[in-house]
Amino acid sequence: MLGEILNPYYLQVAAFIMINIILAISIYITLSSGQLSLGSAGFMGIGAYTSALLTIHFELPIIVGILAGAVVAGIIGILIGIPALRLQGVYLAIATLGFGEVVRIIFVNWESVTRGSIGLSGIPHMGRELLRFFKDIGFDPDMIGLKNNQFIYLLVLLILVLINIILIWFFTRQNKSRIGRAFAAIKMDEKAAEAMGLNITYYKVLSFAQGAVLAGFAGALYAHVLAYISPADFAYHRAIEILIFSVFGGSEVILGAVFGATFLTLLPEALRFISEYRYMIYGAILVLMMAFRPQGIIDASVLNWFKKNLKSKRGTNHGTRINKNN
Amino acid sequence: MVLELTKITKNFGGISALTDVSFKIEQGQIFGLIGPNGAGKTTMFNIITNMFLPTSGEISFLGENISGIKPHKITEKGICRTFQNIRLFSQMSVLENVLVGGHCRSKSGVLHSVFRTKKQCNEENEMHAKSLELLELVGLADYRDTIAENLSYGQQRRLEIARALASNPKLLLLDEPAAGMNESETDDLFDLIKKVQKRGVTVLLIEHDMPFVMKLCDRIAVLNFGKKLAEGTPEEIQNNQAVIEAYLGSEEEDQIA
Repeated sequence: MLGEILNPYYLQVAAFIMINIILAISIYITLSSGQLSLGSAGFMGIGAYTSALLTIHFELPIIVGILAGAVVAGIIGILIGIPALRLQGVYLAIATLGFGEVVRIIFVNWESVTRGSIGLSGIPHMGRELLRFFKDIGFDPDMIGLKNNQFIYLLVLLILVLINIILIWFFTRQNKSRIGRAFAAIKMDEKAAEAMGLNITYYKVLSFAQGAVLAGFAGALYAHVLAYISPADFAYHRAIEILIFSVFGGSEVILGAVFGATFLTLLPEALRFISEYRYMIYGAILVLMMAFRPQGIIDASVLNWFKKNLKSKRGTNHGTRINKNN
Repeated sequence: MVLELTKITKNFGGISALTDVSFKIEQGQIFGLIGPNGAGKTTMFNIITNMFLPTSGEISFLGENISGIKPHKITEKGICRTFQNIRLFSQMSVLENVLVGGHCRSKSGVLHSVFRTKKQCNEENEMHAKSLELLELVGLADYRDTIAENLSYGQQRRLEIARALASNPKLLLLDEPAAGMNESETDDLFDLIKKVQKRGVTVLLIEHDMPFVMKLCDRIAVLNFGKKLAEGTPEEIQNNQAVIEAYLGSEEEDQIA
């Protein structure tokens, strides 16, 4: 029965949604300290290529490759971050966009390693490796009524969902701590934050590097989910797309990034029946959004509204209630 | 001696904003810095907090030379300020603003914060308790969850003071705290600054409201065109001929005009 519901195509789309959520969170983190970085595609590429090359040439386990991809992206993020963070607003955006293009051009031209614009194929596929592992320990997808294909994509999706839950948990908690308050303070007024004793450079580099690590991590996952990468996957339009995820969904809250990535990944798939017109609708929705709701779909007031309504349904408002404001 | 400024000079290009200004502030004093507009008072604040580097001169805080260290280090050492044009974190709640003020007195890093270790929880609880106590002090305890930009002007000024106090300063710099306040708000502010003084905090303030300054300050320095014109107790300043001339113009000038 399960086997009939699980269409590998849907599972694959869901897997991409998960990867896009990670990317959206990566840009949300940098935005939360007030920095507009368009380097996420570059960091994503670095993570993807690092992991792919390590697993192809040195036959490292995928998990080692993915972690290495994230770490390398993070280190480069720190190196780029320290000088780049002297820039603000659009200047930082242009500089990081330039960085992303440099990375892509390196992938195109360093043919001996990256095989140029043809890209890398034969990257170990996360799902297939796992399938082999399960078969080795004597488990066959047939036993739960699944085809190999379904099992692979289901497994990949479950892993990605788990990763996303951990990441959202991690950054929600970070946000609610003094680190998150420091990011927000820097975003709102850098000079005042500095006068209140915040080490601006540290926190800006921290949030930039966290964004780079996440983008690299997502890139590495992407490489092992798709098993094929090429420089075109990490061009500037990818950076813009990631930025749109976060801004569309609402860049003030982490759930905005989650929503934006989910909705905007699903939209073109859902609109497949009108084929070439779908990107027109995609564009139109973005224009309307920016005109009528520039802060994004989900912001703090939407969350508060939900919280209040869910609470009152659960009945916590009964009995004596202390009204703090009066 | 809490703060000792020696021959501070600051040039912006060819313009000299401050020339050889020196004064000392004793522990527990409320020290007023007054002078006509453009006299260099705010520049002096920016130099003390190292937002600008002085062209020459030396700043010593509790016997330690602090010239040239980073602004956030200055706050750690115990100098905190408010701003002439209020600079709150306007989208944050009142409580969060004060919590950010306590940032440099807490230490939990990313991992401690994410895994909510016991140390971090204790620290966070202490910060909350202290912030609420400070909000009580400035009279904003009922507004803890209000977004800062929705406060009235006088409340915003008081919140800035609470935020600065959260960093446990030994020296508090107030840049025109009474600006734009009505009489009753100014009276509240007077009481507040006296309370701050009782907590053992030394206060250096810039203010244009003369009756307020004369009533509040233990000692006053007057700046005019970047130079120190006079220094002394409020009575001495009130009777100082040079100061009167700077504020009101001299009789000769009037005749020429």
